[in-house]
Amino acid sequence: MLLQVRNLRCGYGSLEVVRGASLHVCAGEIVGLLGANGAGKSSLLKAIVGLVSPWAGDVLIDGRQTRGQPAWRSLGYSTVLVPEGKMIFADMTVRENLLIGGYHNPDRALTLEIVLDRFPLLRERLRQPGGTLSGGEQQMLALGRALMARAKLLLLDEPSMGLAPLMVKAVFAEIVKMRDLGLTILLVEQNAMATLQVADRAYVMETGEIILEGPASDLIHNPEVKRAYLGKGAQEPLP
Amino acid sequence: MSVYESRYERLPRAELEQFQLERLQALVARLRRNVRRSREKLGDLRLETLADLERLPFTTPEELAESFPYGMFAFPLREVIRLVSTPGPDGNPLVIGHTRNDLAQWSRLVARQLAAAGVTAHDVIQIALGGSVHPGTTGYALGAELLEASVMVEDPLHIDYQVAVLQNYRPTVLITTPSNALELMRTLQTRRLDPQSLHLRTIVLSRPVPSEERDRLNAGLFARIYCNFGLGEILDPGLTVECEAGKLHVNEDQFLAEICEGELVVTTLGREALPLLRYRTRVRGELSREKCSCGRTGALLAPGPRLDRRYRVREVVFYSQQIESVLARTRAAGQRFHVEPNADRLVLAVEISENIFAKAATYASDPKRELESELLARLGVPAEVRFVEPQVPKSPEA
Repeated sequence: MLLQVRNLRCGYGSLEVVRGASLHVCAGEIVGLLGANGAGKSSLLKAIVGLVSPWAGDVLIDGRQTRGQPAWRSLGYSTVLVPEGKMIFADMTVRENLLIGGYHNPDRALTLEIVLDRFPLLRERLRQPGGTLSGGEQQMLALGRALMARAKLLLLDEPSMGLAPLMVKAVFAEIVKMRDLGLTILLVEQNAMATLQVADRAYVMETGEIILEGPASDLIHNPEVKRAYLGKGAQEPLP
Repeated sequence: MSVYESRYERLPRAELEQFQLERLQALVARLRRNVRRSREKLGDLRLETLADLERLPFTTPEELAESFPYGMFAFPLREVIRLVSTPGPDGNPLVIGHTRNDLAQWSRLVARQLAAAGVTAHDVIQIALGGSVHPGTTGYALGAELLEASVMVEDPLHIDYQVAVLQNYRPTVLITTPSNALELMRTLQTRRLDPQSLHLRTIVLSRPVPSEERDRLNAGLFARIYCNFGLGEILDPGLTVECEAGKLHVNEDQFLAEICEGELVVTTLGREALPLLRYRTRVRGELSREKCSCGRTGALLAPGPRLDRRYRVREVVFYSQQIESVLARTRAAGQRFHVEPNADRLVLAVEISENIFAKAATYASDPKRELESELLARLGVPAEVRFVEPQVPKSPEA
């Protein structure tokens, strides 16, 4: 198991947002983490890399305990978070954005070429400021920047957010290719169907708890998945 | 012999425990959300490690019976696509529901068992579990189909037809009950039919048998014998896999097994429609985590006798309460009784009372015959009734 999270709790102020979540990702897997807005998915990702301090629980990457480590150390564990909203540097060129991603990578010039081969679109825009790219292109840039760090484990937060349907398809196709290259991916998404089509397994979160885990092919048919998205009002009366 | 889901069947202990913790936490969250009875019992109890399991409440067969038929379902009935029944402790059936995913999971778990018994796509499998109502029939058919074997659910009413099926359809695998297998063996011996002339290679028995009986069947039918151990309320088959070393491995990625005061207690980790938390199975058992030569890492289970008054005659299962309610319809109403062990017929020793014979004159038949025919009609098993002097101890342990 590349990533092992056990009973992780975190929150903001006195508000507990993740209430004892456990999950794991094996090397070479795409694992989806699904749930409605406010379920605690992004907070869980942030707690894994140390952007939010966990209150309790364990985070093991490659068997090493990383809970409580500052976020900047996560690169030492070959882990990169691609945050929600891409968070690219709008005033810097595409090239500069990519090189920043490979700041710790001694072979960044070589890696840059590999990344540009992966994303030919970025090669065309190399000198363009990141902020002038379209939403989909910015997402590709964010993924490329993550690749520059030569991470083993990618944590992707809502990569399809705000993208046109065609672009969503392209981004998910890229994610599959990245897995095929040997990366391991934990994918936080609200787009459940698209995620379940590319993921090997998935977890469903609701109000800070994981309520379901299973092979993606099984979860596609699970009504709880739908319910978790539509919220409590969608719950059908039980017998 | 192959391992169908090596990824899960051979999970290293540490990984298995991670799986179990994740699934157990998700199960508790779902139960709290979806099942009123569980919500009341669980309160705001939190589960931080697997060791916390012992702080969680048990579920008893009696609770399942009280919530008959759908009270403990965690999914709306609309999502439940298969209902099977199993005898309940009060004599009424318990209803076990399966969602689409439950059935998919069931088929994978049974495929593990069949693959361990060497079943492949080249096999022709006959499922004959003594009555099409046997819930195991569904499970075996699902698992065998997943392995792409040719499946035939054929339940011959007469042994002659069973022999004909074996000769004509040439199944290589027979899934049947121990009593059917024994009857088949005796028939072949009486008719001097050579078992080697059949194509039978493997027999999967619906429940464990003593090793002497297994050896006898093995020699008499010239086929390798595998035994299933399942529980109707949990999953039968599918709870365990018997490996080539003859050991029963619990499918621990899907079921958490514990032994509490000698009793096997099982938690279903992945089931959707009817998840059971710490279900008291009323079966004595022993668990061990010894390393097995087959490479599977699931705990080894040695099931023992039942701890409740449940009997099995000719593969028909019934409870003491059912006998009481049959007695209540006759002159022997309210009489104490004792069930004597016998696999072929229900041997019942009923305490005699003046009442039984005082009323004899007003009845056409004699009380013994009346009771025997009532037991046959109501329970579906041949019965032999003996009237005995009072002081037969009531509530004998099964």
